[in-house]
Amino acid sequence: MLTPDELQILSTSLGVAGRAVLFSLPVAIAFAWALSRPRFPGKSVVDTIAHLPLVLPPVLVGYLLLLGLGAQSPIGGWLKSSFGVQLAFTAEGAAIATAVMAFPLMVRAIRLSFEATDPGLFEAASVLRAGPWDRFWSMTLPLAWPGVLAGAVTAFAAGLGEFGAVITFASNVEGETQTLPLAINAALNTPGRDDVAFRLALISLAAAITGLVLAEMLQRWARRRLEA
Amino acid sequence: MTLELREVVVRRGAFRLAADLEVAADGVTVVFGPSGSGKSSLLATIAGLSRLEAGRLSLHGHVLEDARKAVRVPAHARGIGLVFQDARLFPHLTVRGNLEYAEHRRPAVRNAPIVIEIARRLEFEDLLDRPVRNLSGGERSRIALARAIVSAPELLLLDEPFAALDGRRRRDFLALLRELSNEQSLPMVVVTHSIDDAAELANDVIAMRDGRVIAFGAAAAVMSRPEFAGLLDRRDLGARVPADAVAGGAVEGVWVRADSVLLASERPRGISARHVWEGRIDAITREDARGVLVSLATEAGYILSRITPEALADLQLEQGKQAWAVVKAHAL
Repeated sequence: MLTPDELQILSTSLGVAGRAVLFSLPVAIAFAWALSRPRFPGKSVVDTIAHLPLVLPPVLVGYLLLLGLGAQSPIGGWLKSSFGVQLAFTAEGAAIATAVMAFPLMVRAIRLSFEATDPGLFEAASVLRAGPWDRFWSMTLPLAWPGVLAGAVTAFAAGLGEFGAVITFASNVEGETQTLPLAINAALNTPGRDDVAFRLALISLAAAITGLVLAEMLQRWARRRLEA
Repeated sequence: MTLELREVVVRRGAFRLAADLEVAADGVTVVFGPSGSGKSSLLATIAGLSRLEAGRLSLHGHVLEDARKAVRVPAHARGIGLVFQDARLFPHLTVRGNLEYAEHRRPAVRNAPIVIEIARRLEFEDLLDRPVRNLSGGERSRIALARAIVSAPELLLLDEPFAALDGRRRRDFLALLRELSNEQSLPMVVVTHSIDDAAELANDVIAMRDGRVIAFGAAAAVMSRPEFAGLLDRRDLGARVPADAVAGGAVEGVWVRADSVLLASERPRGISARHVWEGRIDAITREDARGVLVSLATEAGYILSRITPEALADLQLEQGKQAWAVVKAHAL
């Protein structure tokens, strides 16, 4: 059904989006948890940082990543000399750019799940001798994890389509950073490859719809669980 | 084990709780008062779920919280259990999982019944592997109680634990609470707005109204105070009779409502009523055109009877005169 080229592009996309979710999930959980707290100093700062990728142009995010993590930057240089890791123009770099762009979506879904949890349950846990850290692992996460999963799936589906930040930070390297949207863009810019672009667009659409349906199902399951 | 609250003030939204009390907290202490009087807030304060705005809270001489010195032992380190009115079972765990949650966090030095033992005792053994949704209110109450017992607290607080129960189940649960308190040497503080539950359970009573503690101390003393009567509905007015006066078995006392007590000016003969107490009339209070409250000092304590003004005139009852209080066994 799919040509080897298309399979290659799809697998690059899945790999980039998958790694993006893995990178951002722990950070997103920490941010979501902090934002679900009633009030603390610096909350609006945390809130702003979490939502920034939503309003910044993706190209700007890619450019900032180049400035911060590119081979010429202090951090990028250190990563290269100490670990031999290069981020710019690699699949890892594409994953990081995707992670940053999908971050607000993920934080939002997880935060809603944290906020939907009955605070009375945490009181009940604390009078059974569960301290704050214990409650986080034994109550907060298990009660919210269907929502966490839904957030991860939404971020994954959105990550499949990330364009601007990826092409700026990781460029369009076939078999390495050429994800679905990058391949569609390349095909559209090459005369006589409209049918290739159209097939890739269909694949992209199918992947996005599957992701959204899955996320919706997980969210419904999460609600049922918390209502019990 | 002494529970002491000194000039405690707690604010929850617009509600203000003020408490200054000291109770023995051995056996069962009942917190009694109408709804909205601050009973649940008092429990939340003792458990450490509400922060003191002022005052000091200590248990057994050990300071748990002192607003002035900024001392505050967090709820999870107090060793005080709390059974919530709405049970608050953990929805992501099975019944067994809920009990094990408590068991795994119990200090090794504290003895407590194992999960299966307590489940058998509270008759929900067959529910152990079920998820907690779709359980009945009564089942949830029993599981919440079991979870708290398994956690082996030093003091157990219960917020209206009978709310979801009625009739025979309620009486069984009441008896069970007393037994558990004795067997596990576990002092309990029980919130209720039922005067019958209060009389049956209480060794000590904390009476509350409008966010304030209006009386505290031994049940017999507190429940005969005039300000305690002020907490009751007209039809609940009555007197606490100690259990031994009515051969009451597992209960501490019985609440005898004024409406269920007959008065006789001569020793009654040939009647079916099982309880006849001889005494002297201590006070006669006219309530309104329909009722007169007569207080009789008997060997079982004071008994209150509500009679009509016509009956008062017919029997020629007066303060200091001898009279007999008659109560059907089934009215208790």
